Amino acid sequence: MDLACVLALVLLQQADVPQGAHDAHLAQLEALRADVASQLQLTAFDLLDTLVYDWTQSPIFGAPTPVVLASVTPPAGLGTGLQALLENHLASLLVHNPRSNITLAHCPACTEVVVHSAKQGTVIARGVDTPEALAKVGALTPGLHALFADFEAEGAAVVLRVRVTRVTAALPVVYARTLSSSVGTPALLRDEQSLKSAGAARQEYLDALNQHEARLTWVNRFAVRSFAQGESQGIALAPYIWLETGFETAFTESRAWLGNLAVGFSWAPSLHTAFSLSARADRLISGRARSLTNPDLYLFFAGTLISTTGLDVAAFKSTTAPTVADLLAGALGVTNPELSTSFSAWKIGLELRVKNRIHTAVFLEALPSLNDLTTLGQFTRLGPIKFQTLGAEVGFCF
Amino acid sequence: MAAIFWLMILVPVVWSVITDPAPGFGRSKAASRNLACEQLNEDAVRRRYPGTLEEVSSRGDFVDIRTMACGARIMAYDERPVRDGLLLTALQERAADIAQKVIAQPDAAGRTWLVEAFYPDPKVATKLAFAVKAALVERQQKVSDRVPTLAAGDVLVLGATPPVRAYPLACARYQAEGSLAADDTLLMITLTDPRDVTLSVGRCTAGEWQWI
Repeated sequence: MDLACVLALVLLQQADVPQGAHDAHLAQLEALRADVASQLQLTAFDLLDTLVYDWTQSPIFGAPTPVVLASVTPPAGLGTGLQALLENHLASLLVHNPRSNITLAHCPACTEVVVHSAKQGTVIARGVDTPEALAKVGALTPGLHALFADFEAEGAAVVLRVRVTRVTAALPVVYARTLSSSVGTPALLRDEQSLKSAGAARQEYLDALNQHEARLTWVNRFAVRSFAQGESQGIALAPYIWLETGFETAFTESRAWLGNLAVGFSWAPSLHTAFSLSARADRLISGRARSLTNPDLYLFFAGTLISTTGLDVAAFKSTTAPTVADLLAGALGVTNPELSTSFSAWKIGLELRVKNRIHTAVFLEALPSLNDLTTLGQFTRLGPIKFQTLGAEVGFCF
Repeated sequence: MAAIFWLMILVPVVWSVITDPAPGFGRSKAASRNLACEQLNEDAVRRRYPGTLEEVSSRGDFVDIRTMACGARIMAYDERPVRDGLLLTALQERAADIAQKVIAQPDAAGRTWLVEAFYPDPKVATKLAFAVKAALVERQQKVSDRVPTLAAGDVLVLGATPPVRAYPLACARYQAEGSLAADDTLLMITLTDPRDVTLSVGRCTAGEWQWI
């Protein structure tokens, strides 16, 4: 009864689960990327990617223009290591995306503190803030601009502010922009050498995900079935070791429902040779869609037709378990019992599956046509259903 | 069976209490303070966080569900000086607010804005001025990075003058020394009370000082 209640609960929980496979996959994708990209620098990189991508689509300048990277400041309270990372990433983006029309200029005097004396007085400032001083040292090239970037952590969002100033006496700001990440939105992790829009990058992730979702897979399983010993005194049946092979298909994009068809073979020297044909349905119970990062748990039901020949068959046909004498007689050909039988089996089990490649399962199996045999016992029962077989299996999908 | 029934009732209730970002069972006040949350309607949740919201049952739902997106603050409240943290966390709002007030001035059209921020921490002052400049440019205003200069003697005198008189005096000195052009307006963003995070903005145009 307890098992029935647990199963009912599991099924109740799954009853309302939507089949929005696309959404479910998207949610998993978000969770995976959030894990990877929750680090601050990746969010900051994402903002820089967006900025430079937008410049490639609508450049600030009509022609390639020399720009000195005047300053990149990280959020207050964070170290210079992050500043170096951000500076390198921005420089790399600009170098790899010449369509932005920004040509990075080498100008050490622009970012250094310079001292400039004139009749008005002496001014101590950075080179980019004193174009007169730059002109005197010959570092002021025509059309030179200065790029300033400032990152700040505002709540859960990272905000990037950028401004571009023409390095002339008037120092006019010719461009400014503010970009902000959304709360909890992971970075898109774009490739700096082939920048894409946010929408295109997202579609690329989805395409990559769907490419690996083959609908039909080849399944191979090694299974062990052990039979409960009955009330009759005698030798218990040895476990059957099976090799099963078949095909599996996913009925939904989320792989929440699977179905497979397999044939099996089992052989033990002098004891039995057996064949099976099974059909099985798997239901995902550990989530709404196959996980990209964690193992999945499936509940499965299967129907199997088993045909076996050999001495072990005696246990499936007789109400008396074979004794050592019976087995010896059979082996020596003294007796000639009917050496083959077929029966059906109904299986329920739990399967743990990793990335749709490897799985392991445990199951209970009911043999309804053999309920009356005293040679077979039961491991447990669910109402009128006796489970005479306990098994485990390991499978590989290709 | 009774135990299972109560389990089915209690688990969702306990789960909702645990996941509630408000302080309470399982979440301290400090932990709640370090969350940045925004309330979203159902459409926004489905668009921005697809797959996270379960479909409403075709038989309807018996409870109202509030949707809220929460993220941990990148810098927790105690990781920076409290005043800096409060100011920087809402930097965008403050910069936008200042820019709006500046643009609303009757003679704002055609002016070139120079922005200076006076704050105890120079890094925060730089960020504040940067944010205001960006906000002004994004609102189609002319902004210059030029920094008006004062003579060393002026700086010495201003340093010994009370703030109420220092700003008008500095403005007059900028004009006298020709640091500001005719169409230049210098915006000075200051922290008037060091115990507060309220920012004051003043403007210096043609040697005349005015608080905005």
